Amino acid sequence: MTSPQYDTARRRPELVGLGTLLAAGALLVAVGARWVSGPLVPLALAIVLASIVVLVVAAVAGGPEIRRRLAPYGLLKPGMLWLALFYLAPLVTLLKQSLSTLPSRFAVEAEFDWNLDNYRDAFSDFGPQFTRAFLYAGVATVLTIAIGYPLAYVIAFRGGRYRNLLLGLVVIPFFTSYLIRTIAWQSLLADSGPVVGALDTLQLSNVLEAVNIMDNGRLVNTPAAVIGGLTYNFLPFMALPIYVSLEKVDPRLVDAAKDLYSTSTAAFRKVVVPLSLPGVFAGTLLTFIPAAGDFVNAAYLGSPQTTMIGNSIQDQFLVQNNTPLASAMSFVLMAIITVFVLIYSRFFGTEDLA
Amino acid sequence: MTPRRPARPTNRLSRRQFFLRSSALGVAGLSLPAWLTACGGDDDDASSDTGGAPATTAAGTSPATTPAGAGEGSLFFENWPAYIDPTEDGATGTVDRFTAATGIAMRYTEAYNDNTSYFATIQPVLGRGDTIEPDIIAPTSWMAGRLINLGWVDPLPLDQIPNAANLRPDLQMPAWDPTGEFSLPWQTGFAGIAYNLDVTGRELTSVEDLFDPEFAGKIGMNTEMRDTIGLILLGLGVDITTIATFDDAAAAFDKLEAAKSDGQIRSFHGNDYFDDLSTGNFAACVGWSGDVAQLQLDNPAVRFAFPEEGVTSWADTMVMPKGAANRDAAAAWMNFVYDPVEAAQITAWVQYVSPVDGVREELEKIDPDLANNPLVFPDEATLAKAKGFANLSDEVEAEFDAAFSRIVGA
Repeated sequence: MTSPQYDTARRRPELVGLGTLLAAGALLVAVGARWVSGPLVPLALAIVLASIVVLVVAAVAGGPEIRRRLAPYGLLKPGMLWLALFYLAPLVTLLKQSLSTLPSRFAVEAEFDWNLDNYRDAFSDFGPQFTRAFLYAGVATVLTIAIGYPLAYVIAFRGGRYRNLLLGLVVIPFFTSYLIRTIAWQSLLADSGPVVGALDTLQLSNVLEAVNIMDNGRLVNTPAAVIGGLTYNFLPFMALPIYVSLEKVDPRLVDAAKDLYSTSTAAFRKVVVPLSLPGVFAGTLLTFIPAAGDFVNAAYLGSPQTTMIGNSIQDQFLVQNNTPLASAMSFVLMAIITVFVLIYSRFFGTEDLA
Repeated sequence: MTPRRPARPTNRLSRRQFFLRSSALGVAGLSLPAWLTACGGDDDDASSDTGGAPATTAAGTSPATTPAGAGEGSLFFENWPAYIDPTEDGATGTVDRFTAATGIAMRYTEAYNDNTSYFATIQPVLGRGDTIEPDIIAPTSWMAGRLINLGWVDPLPLDQIPNAANLRPDLQMPAWDPTGEFSLPWQTGFAGIAYNLDVTGRELTSVEDLFDPEFAGKIGMNTEMRDTIGLILLGLGVDITTIATFDDAAAAFDKLEAAKSDGQIRSFHGNDYFDDLSTGNFAACVGWSGDVAQLQLDNPAVRFAFPEEGVTSWADTMVMPKGAANRDAAAAWMNFVYDPVEAAQITAWVQYVSPVDGVREELEKIDPDLANNPLVFPDEATLAKAKGFANLSDEVEAEFDAAFSRIVGA
């Protein structure tokens, strides 16, 4: 039997933990989003610091039971505060920016006035760019799986002692800057460059024209070049997670399947593939999300007809200096990606990921 | 004085390298300014070695040289690519001659790719009342007008620039700078059609050639709205000097939009079209006369067409951004380049129309052929076909910009 007073006392540590956590987080968001300014900033930071001290004091002063109850909050705190300052605060700033209006054409600061027109414009003016971004990113993701899965499979199961070397070879090109590699493709695929020259010599350009990969004798500045660039640039983000999950597959499982009269194909399909799905899932997220927002490939390998939403956001942010519209576009992009990821994880599940 | 332009075999390699380098960096600069804005113009540093003129002056040219970046007494000029005679092949470029003559160290960079994107990098700084690093920048006349209207430039110390009296009469008190106290033109020139004869297989003579289906996917259009739209309007027979409303130019926007959705246009470019044109990615693009004259030294197949319908004429200016630190050095520079002898050296290399009177006489001495080139010293017939884009009111310009950026800006 426990008395009411004892109950309250037992609950208090959680309240202290949760209270300091939320207060400190909210204050950091406020500081990060610049709601507080001037002398209030040091004050807010002092309160954040005090909340940490309170937590520590409470833990030290209290008995083992209190420490046990406070521990989760103490352990959560560094991560939560980091997220508050570097994720929530920028997000709130961006949201506020997306609901603002530029008072004049060349104004630097936008004024916050619940302007929902930015969202309307983001949809009405940039529909094709959104569609292209998800289409290209989707195709590129499928292609990275098609290339990355066999690659990872060979390294994991046939690599032998050269495994690490082969993995290194996958990664080495990526020591060079993303931008430089993309510009290099631009030169390689140029109209008078080596690739088009070779295709012409081999009489393959007509075939490629027929399947819409080439267009009037050019390989670069086509949708195929943009998708190719995305596929190339994101391949390691697909191949490496798949490798990690394949590497954990015990080869004896395949032997066991064969002992039970399974064919090699069936063993691969029923044993190896399901066990490697977490890698495919992780790789898909790592590839699709950044590819959908990418603007480098479309800028260097694309044409005015292949611009993706990343290019439009970059243009609005940095060339047109229209930060409210650009912020609204960024938010819409984030929202769509979130919905995609939620749907995707519903079908593939994430429980194996951890 | 050494004529620098004639294509001596030794010249060719270095010029080619120069163009390839500068255009590659120009491309890199296209999407980078954004990230780099925050870092306060790191991209400028990148372009400083593409420039003909090194940031620090050659050792030994002047004992009085102060180290570059010494702040007070040194000078920073941010200009367009391939727009000044560099120190190479035994010739001393204007920047080094200036340093030798005045003892003022100078940093010369080529950060401009187009007016709009350059404006986007300085707007957040000047708009907050802070100062940007360069002492002189080189906006095109209409952009100079915008900066003057916004109050983001300082008046020039004209009393320290006696040579400003050499300014061509037709450029005095121009529409963009009615009092003439904020800007001095750097060079003027024409935007027409630049093309690669190897790809086109024929001479281009008309604006319509840009829309020839034969060149589908091999046409470049300039991100300078006035040059691209102006040229298309001329092709449509519209007088661009009297444009007053968006409706006057709507047909050109429609035509550009249609060309884009038909896949006629390969890409929109700023000053970074050298590579695409020279390698044949572009059959033709909207290019600037002097650029093409220089590219031609490397690749004789690159030509400049003066379309029968006319060309747009423009002027790039030197202005001092508000709060520029080195006013006296900037004045000394402007005075230096407005000396016809020095201006002729620049003209001999860049092959644009000099804003300085007396250049022709000086150029007769060093390069008589060039002195008779109608693109450099336009005759009556040329001038009759060269049209400046009308001065747009603020609201109309906003409409034009919005429509143009919808087509160009991704």
